Amino acid sequence: MGLLRIEGVSKRFGGLRAVDQCSFTVEQGSLTGLIGPNGAGKSTVFNLISGLYKPESGSIRLDGEELTGQSPDEIAARGVGRTFQTPRSFSTLSCLENLLASIPSSGEHLISSIFGTYLAEEKAATVRAEDYLDLVGLGARSDTPADELSGGELRMLEVARQLMRNPKILLLDEPTAGVTPTLQVRLAETLKELHARGLTVVVVEHNLGFLLDLVERVVVMVSGQVLTQGDPDAIRSDPEVINAYLGRRDGDAA
Amino acid sequence: MRVTQLIVLGLGTGAFLLIATLGFSLVRRVEGFLNIAHAELMSVAAFVTWYLNADLGWHFVLAAAIAVVVTAFIALAIARLIYDPIKHLGPPILLISSVGVAFLLHGITSAVIGVGIRSFQIPRLDAWNVGGVLVTPYRIALLVLAGLVAVGLALFLNKTRTGKSIRAMAINKELAGSRGINVNAASRATWLLAGLLAGLGGVALGVLGTLTTDIAFQQILVILAVAIVAGLGSLYGVIAAAFIVAFAMDLSLLILPGGYRPVIAFAIVIVVLLVRPQGVAGSRPELTA
Amino acid sequence: MNWGQLAITVVTLVSILGVVTLVLNMQYGHAGLINFGVVAYFAAGAYTYVLLTQAPPSEASLDQYAIGLDLPAWAGLAGAAVAGLVFAAITGWPTLRLRGEYLALTTFAFAEVFHSFIVNEQRFANGTRGLVGVPRPYREELSFIDYDIALAVAALVFLIIAYVIFERIVRSPYGRALEALRDDELALVTSGKRSRRFRLEIFLFTAPFAAMAGAFYIWYTTLAIPDLFTAEVTFIVWIALVLGGEGSNRGALIGITLVILFEELIRAIPFDTIRAAQIAASLEVAALGLLLIIFLRWQPFASLTRAPKRVARSG
Repeated sequence: MGLLRIEGVSKRFGGLRAVDQCSFTVEQGSLTGLIGPNGAGKSTVFNLISGLYKPESGSIRLDGEELTGQSPDEIAARGVGRTFQTPRSFSTLSCLENLLASIPSSGEHLISSIFGTYLAEEKAATVRAEDYLDLVGLGARSDTPADELSGGELRMLEVARQLMRNPKILLLDEPTAGVTPTLQVRLAETLKELHARGLTVVVVEHNLGFLLDLVERVVVMVSGQVLTQGDPDAIRSDPEVINAYLGRRDGDAA
Repeated sequence: MRVTQLIVLGLGTGAFLLIATLGFSLVRRVEGFLNIAHAELMSVAAFVTWYLNADLGWHFVLAAAIAVVVTAFIALAIARLIYDPIKHLGPPILLISSVGVAFLLHGITSAVIGVGIRSFQIPRLDAWNVGGVLVTPYRIALLVLAGLVAVGLALFLNKTRTGKSIRAMAINKELAGSRGINVNAASRATWLLAGLLAGLGGVALGVLGTLTTDIAFQQILVILAVAIVAGLGSLYGVIAAAFIVAFAMDLSLLILPGGYRPVIAFAIVIVVLLVRPQGVAGSRPELTA
Repeated sequence: MNWGQLAITVVTLVSILGVVTLVLNMQYGHAGLINFGVVAYFAAGAYTYVLLTQAPPSEASLDQYAIGLDLPAWAGLAGAAVAGLVFAAITGWPTLRLRGEYLALTTFAFAEVFHSFIVNEQRFANGTRGLVGVPRPYREELSFIDYDIALAVAALVFLIIAYVIFERIVRSPYGRALEALRDDELALVTSGKRSRRFRLEIFLFTAPFAAMAGAFYIWYTTLAIPDLFTAEVTFIVWIALVLGGEGSNRGALIGITLVILFEELIRAIPFDTIRAAQIAASLEVAALGLLLIIFLRWQPFASLTRAPKRVARSG
């Protein structure tokens, strides 16, 4: 019984079946990759899990609880963390405040905000936030407003923001897009560290060189369906997978 | 009979709203924001016409033509000086800025014109009695003008090179630019066109009734209603929406006192935005992933 | 030129309209909600105050109005606050889905509907003629001092209370959540927070302040006429917000002070003819529009109104 179970999920847009009877399971504590050529439906699956789209059929269960049909904030509150292809952040807030804004606080109620009863909680949260900023390499930038960060830094900030929430599962959508090789190394190390700490992570990636050396399991999607699953070495040499990528002339297999 | 009379009234109102809103929706479609100052441009055109026609005594058609052209260039000047430099700040900021432009134009107009009611020096034409229903020749002329404007705009946008580049820009500005379309020229043409349409709308206002410097503000919400019912940015939708709103407003006179006529427009804005924000023909303005 | 009287007027108006500007700052400057209908809270408060505190309508007088409960001033003020809350609830709840320009238009439309109602319904509050000579509270009790000064002080106290409360909110995690909502609603939602709750709460919490300001305005002008409660009030407040560098309560107050000073100085000039005064008033409108445009473009006061330092630093 895995942490995240996706069963028979389908989603169509107009006449296009973006996701078609997709099923796979993500085990607790695993580091899984989700790959496939363009248009395979990977990001759509993420959007379905995080509640931004509602599936037409099938079920998505986290820790046994049904997620389908819930609103995005409810799903996030249940422990699903995700990052986006274009990193999202609170542009006028500092890095530190970005993280603090990502977790619930007793100060987010009018009465307590006026009477200031949140201060101790805020102090404790600040310590945690600074730890996470250090983890992703933004320790020195904690007071910098997010709109002054570079693209790579924004991505790390987004990861830190989600980590701050102590999610049960973290979904990363193409984390290496637009990121320098140096930062990619740092990202890989961070993910390995998180994996070692027991966090369940699913990564969608086009950069197979980055991904296949990192994850312990891979799910391959083509045309909205799961083609195959397995460990990275098996997938790397699987002729069906290679075909799926090469057959589409836009494969950017590293 | 009363109903028929109100329908005739509605046709005239619809014709006016069509002209007035086309320019507004064009700007929304191509430049991407709601230009609240559009109604003030109408006011400017109306009063320039009034000045040349009633004050200086020039022939109405000449005065109107000059006013319309002047308004077109004022619209362009405002766009170049005020809107273009802040385009990168996004549509909400442009919306707020257009409120400033409206204030500016209103202030200047009322400073120059002063208070009081003005009217054009145009021949007093008696209304024709068509089977018990009164029809003003001016209203007919307005309907004809609206038809010409709609057809003319459609032809311009579909058959001329500038028109096609405007349409391309409306769909996707960056794509249009990268395909070699002169985005600047298309933008310029858009503003001139919008100003021209606002000018025609202003002239129509003066033909249909008397003028005060406050008329613009009264019109902007109705124009907004038409634009919203059409679906923000849709031009063909404006044709239907203009008459839907006009008939709703004028037929309401059957059951509500005249003072509430504009409220119909406001109520339409609220209902449409709450129920179907995309209007007759548009896309949903909601959270997207 | 009576500088004393001018000062009292400026302090009173800055205090009253300053509260409305602070409300707008909370809604737009912090939460990013474009409200083009703030005058409606102001008007709702003003008219509710009048209807609650006036003596019941009599057959003898020409004025018509819906009710007159002859309640004391403080009850009228409380009633005004409730009116603001109710109006915000009615207009806020259905607009929770709307963003940006769509929200602006809907709030604008709601305010205009309300204004139209006041103007057209003779039986509500005497239509366009409105109600004049609304009694000022505690007139006799305070006859030993200059009432105008007393009112200015009361309004100022009200402003300070509103400012302190709003500032505490801004400097707390709540203020941070509002700004996060403004900056990226989707990011906020995927962090597990409900954006609708914040939107509704901020409308419901701040509207009563603007409504009570409306009651103060009645005390100041003794006039409840629709012409005083038009969209122009909304846009004056918007101009004030932009002038002050939108985004902080302090900036909001700086902005409204500048606008009021400007208006009152022009008004104080002795013009020879009505036409001259009218031209001046018109040019003032034009100048305000121009200032809005200029300040939106160059944001000269933005540096004065940096985002508030709010986090307790560790170590």
